[in-house]
Amino acid sequence: MTDVLKTAKNCRHYAMCKIDFLGSGLCRSGEERHYVSFYPQGRMDLYAALAENRVPVTPQCVEIAESCDLCGRCDYPCYFVTEMKPSAVMKALKEHVRRYLESGGEVLAPEKDGILDGMKGIVGDGWATNDRAIAVTYADDPCPAAAPRLPAYVVMPDSSAEISALVKFLNRHGIPYAVRGNGSSVMGFVMSEGAVIDLGRMKTIDFDEKNWLVKVGAGVAAFDLQKAVVARGYRVNVAEPSALVCANIMCSGIFSTFSASYGTAADNYVDAEFVGPDGGVFRLSDPAAPNLFGFRREDAALPGICASAAIRLHAVTADESAVFVPFTSLAGALDFSRECAMRRIGLAIGVLGGEYISTFLSPTAKLADQVKSAFRDKLKIAFLVLVIGDAHALRAVREMGYHGFDSRLMRILNLGLPSLTSAGWLDLIGELEEEEPFSYLGLAHFADLAEAALAPSPAQLAAAVDPELRPFFEEIYARPEMTDPVWLNMFRIVSARMGREKHVVAMIVYLPIDNRLIAEIDAEFRRIAGRHGLKNDFGFITPLDNGKRCVFEYDYYLDQNDEEEKDRMRQAMMEAGMMIGKFAAETGTVTWIRHVFRQGFCRKECFLYQGAGVSE
Amino acid sequence: MNRGGATAGGPYLLTGATGFLGSHVMAGLLKKGEGVVVVGRRAGGESLAERIRRLLEWFGIEHLQERLELHEADFREPRLGLRPDEYELLRRRALPIIHCASDTRFAEKNREAVMAANVGSLAGILDLARGGPARCFHFISSAYAAGSDGAECREIPVHSRNFNNVYEESKALAESAVLAFCRQHGVAHTIIRPAIVYGDARTGRSLKFNALYHPVRSLLQLRDIYLADLGKNRGKKSAACGVRLLKDGRLHLPLRICIPNEGKINLVPVDYFTAATLAILDGPENGAIYHVASRRPAAMAQLTAFSARFLGLSGIEVIHGAAPAAETRNPPEELFDYFIRPYRPYISDRRVFLRENTDRATGAMDPPDFDYDVFRRCMEYAVAADWGRKLFSIPGGQGEKEGKRDKGVER
Repeated sequence: MTDVLKTAKNCRHYAMCKIDFLGSGLCRSGEERHYVSFYPQGRMDLYAALAENRVPVTPQCVEIAESCDLCGRCDYPCYFVTEMKPSAVMKALKEHVRRYLESGGEVLAPEKDGILDGMKGIVGDGWATNDRAIAVTYADDPCPAAAPRLPAYVVMPDSSAEISALVKFLNRHGIPYAVRGNGSSVMGFVMSEGAVIDLGRMKTIDFDEKNWLVKVGAGVAAFDLQKAVVARGYRVNVAEPSALVCANIMCSGIFSTFSASYGTAADNYVDAEFVGPDGGVFRLSDPAAPNLFGFRREDAALPGICASAAIRLHAVTADESAVFVPFTSLAGALDFSRECAMRRIGLAIGVLGGEYISTFLSPTAKLADQVKSAFRDKLKIAFLVLVIGDAHALRAVREMGYHGFDSRLMRILNLGLPSLTSAGWLDLIGELEEEEPFSYLGLAHFADLAEAALAPSPAQLAAAVDPELRPFFEEIYARPEMTDPVWLNMFRIVSARMGREKHVVAMIVYLPIDNRLIAEIDAEFRRIAGRHGLKNDFGFITPLDNGKRCVFEYDYYLDQNDEEEKDRMRQAMMEAGMMIGKFAAETGTVTWIRHVFRQGFCRKECFLYQGAGVSE
Repeated sequence: MNRGGATAGGPYLLTGATGFLGSHVMAGLLKKGEGVVVVGRRAGGESLAERIRRLLEWFGIEHLQERLELHEADFREPRLGLRPDEYELLRRRALPIIHCASDTRFAEKNREAVMAANVGSLAGILDLARGGPARCFHFISSAYAAGSDGAECREIPVHSRNFNNVYEESKALAESAVLAFCRQHGVAHTIIRPAIVYGDARTGRSLKFNALYHPVRSLLQLRDIYLADLGKNRGKKSAACGVRLLKDGRLHLPLRICIPNEGKINLVPVDYFTAATLAILDGPENGAIYHVASRRPAAMAQLTAFSARFLGLSGIEVIHGAAPAAETRNPPEELFDYFIRPYRPYISDRRVFLRENTDRATGAMDPPDFDYDVFRRCMEYAVAADWGRKLFSIPGGQGEKEGKRDKGVER
């Protein structure tokens, strides 16, 4: 396999090329044509399919190749997350098509299709296609549990009326369909042999500040919404930046570290507009609407297509900041996070694995690996609890007797990461840890000393990346928000780095913050992954409902192109599911996210607490 | 020699043989031709045998291995975690016991563990000493078990209830337990109380780099922090606290080390500790307590001057009296104070350790003067050993010449 094909086949489908999170601009053709095929992600899939003779050269294949102007801006976001440079694939795609055409190759036009004409009649000529060059970019994702399925059609409606007409049309013709927002796709939910309804054109963001709401179209990504909301002085609770807000609510209910105070599932929205399976349009606030606030503890069918949602706006104060409190044990971190949640201290709370700093903050895997031991072995950080809050909340944390890495210190560490590997003074600090863990964080001048020792600067951090991209990275690391933990947690642009080396499969469980129970489940996740030879790690834990419950993510990793590893992953996922089921039955307090899938609009109480308000 | 029921001569049963003092006692006994029965634990995934093998190599006495007998134990368990027959056999052999094993952590948060290791686990070890008339129980304690409320410390049982930390307190409690047990069961016994032990004064070699080494290492780290700032950050942070490079290449690092009074640091080199201990073992007096301490302890000012010279620093001052208010301290002062916090009670110590028994046992053998040459040898070895991290990878066998100079040392 050539390096270019390897890059193409390793696209994680995290869709970070579809949001302009670095301010470097989006792929122009993607913004105009909206089909995923016109974004770098789609071109990666298309090139891989062409190189492996899975699709012919079609008219839209030619258009996709020719619409790339080789501006190279796709390298910035992709390198930021995965260290891959897709521009090489873009060049190879153009070259492949050019040579094919020059050699007199036939451009295979799709056949006439009455169904397609019917869909075009609903959405317009440019927004429905049966071209295989488009279809192949909707055929697969890295989820090991879902097999590729090439859709016959891809259609992009622009309103609930169009969705309604489409659903009725597809029902009439007995064509199955899957719905997607055209954000990240890693769960295997958005493939169909019939039609894929891509809602990516529905990018409306309408504010209703009087009611603390923002009405969001189904094609709006979390990053774009947060950006628009922050510009007006608010915040919303959203998940991964490239995830589509409506799809994310539908899929799993939005949970983030801010869920500690903003909640999850139905807590995040006030109303939503749906197109039901019969094509009828309804709003959740309508008393006659289907009850999506309820919950069934079983695998659920799609209750409808969410066309828009009215999302809650939250207030932001000027004194918000963050602190990362380190712990040598998970139990200590859980105790602290529970105490904060029960006392309602902080807006966002997250128990993070000790590798959080090295993986998330390092621009390269190599640097992450080098600094990992500084945090783990020298500073003895096994876990960190992130608390974001206003000045009162952070003062309360200090008054509780905890010291941590504050926003300033995190910025110093981030921009000085490369110097950490040779910082001898960390050894001394590490040795004192035996006596008083993390007491150095209580020193009034510790940040000054760290700044002197690490000489942090955007240039220093940028020196770790590919020389070609250094000037750009130096410029972005000079922006205050790129090292501001509050901004980074609101926009979550660094968490996708978890998948830098391998694709991440997140195991998510809701349960009480019970140290023993969590330790047991954590150990079981680890044991199962170990038995199947899978890379695995603690993800994060965020308290929910004032510390009565929490959401716990444990991550398994796989090479998405390694069939044998995918087999092992499937086996591990099955065993993990059985393990969670066993704990659920034994405790009556554990819920698996599998049952929340497609029921994310429900009230969180319905799945967090068995028995109360649950429709069985 | 037999004084008051205490018997000299081995083989000896030794605990703590993998520690700093215990390993030197082990090596000293082996070199003297004595047999040593080591009872110790595995640690860090390494068996006792592997740990001892590395130590013998470090001492350059692998050839004496045949005089050793090893018993892997766990002092927290009943019968020290040994098989019943193994334990019983050891007991019946009536060996003189040297109990060196100890948890030397100071922090209050480790109280439970320190007490368990230093006091709780004594019962099983003392039980080994019960029964035979020939045995003697030698307990390696600490001069600082004397407590913190008297200037003159005599070689008598502890009466103080005031201690600087849980380590001192645990040693005092352990002494009481040893005395009570031995008196009750008629076991001859001695207590050996070393002051602060550092490396070998002749070679600079050491297995542990705390205590004396800690302030020096702290200054070295501070120096490197500001050298990094001057080198990579145009000295932005250095200028703010008056740190600058001098024309002679030294770094001017304004740093006040505040200690409550002039006081002293009572240091003895490990070669002296070993020689004194072996002399005591040669002629133990039942019930005697021995202070293995210096008659002429060093002063903090002297240690500071040595450190500044060794590290190429200027601007370090020792100030006697109350510490300045936190807000008036500069960053290096605050970090240095943090680094040496556990050792504060020992750097301005007014206690004088009388050593009548020790003089009698050792022929009034004195430790060598703590001069700059001794200091330099020890610190050069510490730097070469990367303060313990490269301890077993330093070339040069017994290490007479391995104290190589590291970056910028003694500029």
